[in-house]
Amino acid sequence: MTTAEIMAPTGPPEAEPRRRGGPSPLTRYLLVRAALLVPMVWVLVTMVFLLMRVIGDPIQAALGGRLSPQQIAERKAEAGLDRPILTQYWEYLSGLFRGDFGTTLTDNRQVSTILVENGAATLELAFWSLIVAFAIGIPLGRLAARYRDRLPDVMLRLFAILVYAAPVFFVGLLLKLAFSPFGWPSSGRASVNTELTLQDVNPHTHIMILDAILWGDPAMIGDVLKHAMLPAIALGLLTGGVFLRLVRVNLLQTMRMDYVTAARARGVSERRVLNKHAFRNALVPVVTVMGLQIALLLGGAILTETTFEWKGLGYQLAEYLIKRDFLAVQGIVTLIAIIVGVTSFLIDVIVAFVDPRVRF
Amino acid sequence: MKNFRRGTALVAATALAGLALAACGSGKDSGGGAGLIVGTTDKVVSIDPAGSYDNGSLNVQTQVYQYLLNFPAGSTELTPDAAEKCEFDAKDATKYVCTLKSGLKFANGNDLTASDVAFSYKRIVDIADPNGPAPLLGAMKSVEATDDTTVTFTLAAPNDVTFPQILVTSAGPIVDEDTYPADKVLDDDAAVKANGFSGPYTITKYSKNQLAEFKANPDYDGTYGKPKTDKVTMKYYAKAENLKLDIKNKDIDVAYRSLTPTDLADLEKTDGLKVEVGAGGELRYITFNLNKMPGDDADQKLAIRKAMASSINREELSTEVYKGTYTPAYSMVPDGQAGATEAFKDAYGDAPDKAAAEKFLTDAGVKTPVTIALQYNPDHYGSSSAEEYAAVKRQLEATGLFKINLQSTEWVTYSEEYPADTYPVFQLGWFPDFPDADNYLSPFLTPYDTEKKKSGNFTNSHYNDEATEFADPTMTKLLDDERTDGDQASREATLAEIQTRLADLVPYLPLLTGTSVAVAVDGVDGVKETLDASFKFRFTSLSK
Repeated sequence: MTTAEIMAPTGPPEAEPRRRGGPSPLTRYLLVRAALLVPMVWVLVTMVFLLMRVIGDPIQAALGGRLSPQQIAERKAEAGLDRPILTQYWEYLSGLFRGDFGTTLTDNRQVSTILVENGAATLELAFWSLIVAFAIGIPLGRLAARYRDRLPDVMLRLFAILVYAAPVFFVGLLLKLAFSPFGWPSSGRASVNTELTLQDVNPHTHIMILDAILWGDPAMIGDVLKHAMLPAIALGLLTGGVFLRLVRVNLLQTMRMDYVTAARARGVSERRVLNKHAFRNALVPVVTVMGLQIALLLGGAILTETTFEWKGLGYQLAEYLIKRDFLAVQGIVTLIAIIVGVTSFLIDVIVAFVDPRVRF
Repeated sequence: MKNFRRGTALVAATALAGLALAACGSGKDSGGGAGLIVGTTDKVVSIDPAGSYDNGSLNVQTQVYQYLLNFPAGSTELTPDAAEKCEFDAKDATKYVCTLKSGLKFANGNDLTASDVAFSYKRIVDIADPNGPAPLLGAMKSVEATDDTTVTFTLAAPNDVTFPQILVTSAGPIVDEDTYPADKVLDDDAAVKANGFSGPYTITKYSKNQLAEFKANPDYDGTYGKPKTDKVTMKYYAKAENLKLDIKNKDIDVAYRSLTPTDLADLEKTDGLKVEVGAGGELRYITFNLNKMPGDDADQKLAIRKAMASSINREELSTEVYKGTYTPAYSMVPDGQAGATEAFKDAYGDAPDKAAAEKFLTDAGVKTPVTIALQYNPDHYGSSSAEEYAAVKRQLEATGLFKINLQSTEWVTYSEEYPADTYPVFQLGWFPDFPDADNYLSPFLTPYDTEKKKSGNFTNSHYNDEATEFADPTMTKLLDDERTDGDQASREATLAEIQTRLADLVPYLPLLTGTSVAVAVDGVDGVKETLDASFKFRFTSLSK
């Protein structure tokens, strides 16, 4: 049974029943989910902390061979790594609350600065790639459902498998080689002129498209969009393939529901049944699965960012992993864990609004 | 459904409108653009000189800091920069005294005094950051500001002719005492904010290893003269392929370090681009761990090294693997440096000689084929290392005298393992700190340092380890002589003697010397001028 089948709707959304006294089911649901978010993030953060200690001494890993044993000991004391593990853990957690993610070992940078500057780039890439994923997955999924088991359907299903299975860096490389000869930008988030100018935007959000809009220059907005196109397609194809299959399966199952049959019996046209009655319900599982896809998307972002020099968290993570700077890696992975946790919560909230059944 | 459609349509419309408007004029003043754009794959470890000793950081430091002495474009002659003059004290040759120009200022308005200079050198030694250049200042016992314009260095040896050259290296940038801490490395953002720069440029915008914008410093008074271009932007790339695509599309003006030989060959054929080749200096060589390499005794080990030296075809490595971007190296001191010889060519010829190789082995009673575990690194010395070492293996095995077990290890592990006596025979590369023959010799040949309890040479080859069979007091004396010999002719004679001795003992097997290469779009001038043996890529030379 596929994810799509598990999440296949069993009927049309029902109206929320009225209850007297106490919070509404929606409020209760959101409160419970919010309460669950805290332990989930705590577990994730703790796991990252423990994993980084299991790997070994971070100072030795990053600077060993270049420092004498005495210098290593001094560095450990400086970074607080000579203290008992519980003390380190407490300092790590309290640091996170203060927004202090520590300092990198190899180039003395505040991890929080990296997170602000590069985290925004990753979110921006994730946003663009989700748009591509929707733009590919939803209409093509609908098309595949409409032509079930006919040539377009078979071709589209093949396409979905291909784009899902193809390594994202390989797709990225192909895109670069195909479009670069036409002057299409193959790396970076914007041209050098645009990037330099956008550093003057106040407030500087680090989200390039927002900064370009705030600057108010259409040419710069276009430049930013042009640079985002290839990486967004490379990463978006991955999720788009999943969405395509999901929409197709759900649409086909929805079309077999009683209320759809009833609509047909009332003489509603097949096109209207598909568009008006079935399509919206088929989208609910897509939104749900989107939450699960965020982690996949962030994983794919590491490869996409490296391929396209999109200097986001994934790019930085790869750089610091190569340098074995595990304190930097700890900070970046912690933030990614928090993003995944919070995104899952937000997706649950969206689903709760879209599909009243999940509140009960 | 309608909302969804509207949303999709809105996003699509925004995207299309943006793309359509890309060609339109700017809505606001964008500050005059990026100026001349230079791309590189080098990374900056730290702008602060105390925290870096690498090409990427040196490139930034070259533009923004002033040095006591410096090399003007196209020359390796030391010229006063912040200093008016520097000389050894006539009465005490261990004292090297520099007098500063008057009226020097940092871009933040602070005065640049002798105290700043002494502070700059002292803090490098005191901080001794693992990424920093403290080892370069090993010859300096102390430094002090004698008055506002006089700095006095006390050296370990009298008349150390290599010390003035140290002043131009990563250890030489002068920083502002009021804005740089004495006991720790200043992070890059704080350094940019402090604006304690007195070089030809200041940094006006900075995103670490992404973009750095340099603006001409109107108060600069030094070796390089007035910059030909007011604004230069450095763009940092992680991948050579992206650097290549951008220069090919002319999205940047200059690509400096490090394109592959294949990329360069392709770019050479591209209209509107010039591939500029300048003096090199990079050395690629094989290191023998004298303790661990094959051979039952010192004689057999030496015979194996000599047999390898007789079996290598450097010309083939140069043309087949590197398409001429590296040239054969017949000495540890590359051709072009004052005092360089071709000692290995004299001793072993310039083509493989199987008979000679066989004789070396037979005379020492070595059983053939000799099995050698040869290590190379695939990610630190350029992407062609694998090809280079496959060719070395092929050449050695073609003699029938060797069986090569070729192995590779990523740099993070490699850099820890080779100093820990893990590899018997291994690849290394050397990029000099300053353009002097000594910089290709002393770091490799100095004796075991009993005080520091570690090998004097960074390769840990065990050559010249004191109190071992590999100790070489003759070499130690020759090195001391050349370092302190003020007479160029007799110094070059000593350097030649060292190179001959080196070819005779073969603790290292030089293979290739690199050229420095940059690619520029048509209309950009000054690239060739800065690709000289000083290894300083000066933005001041560039214009378009």
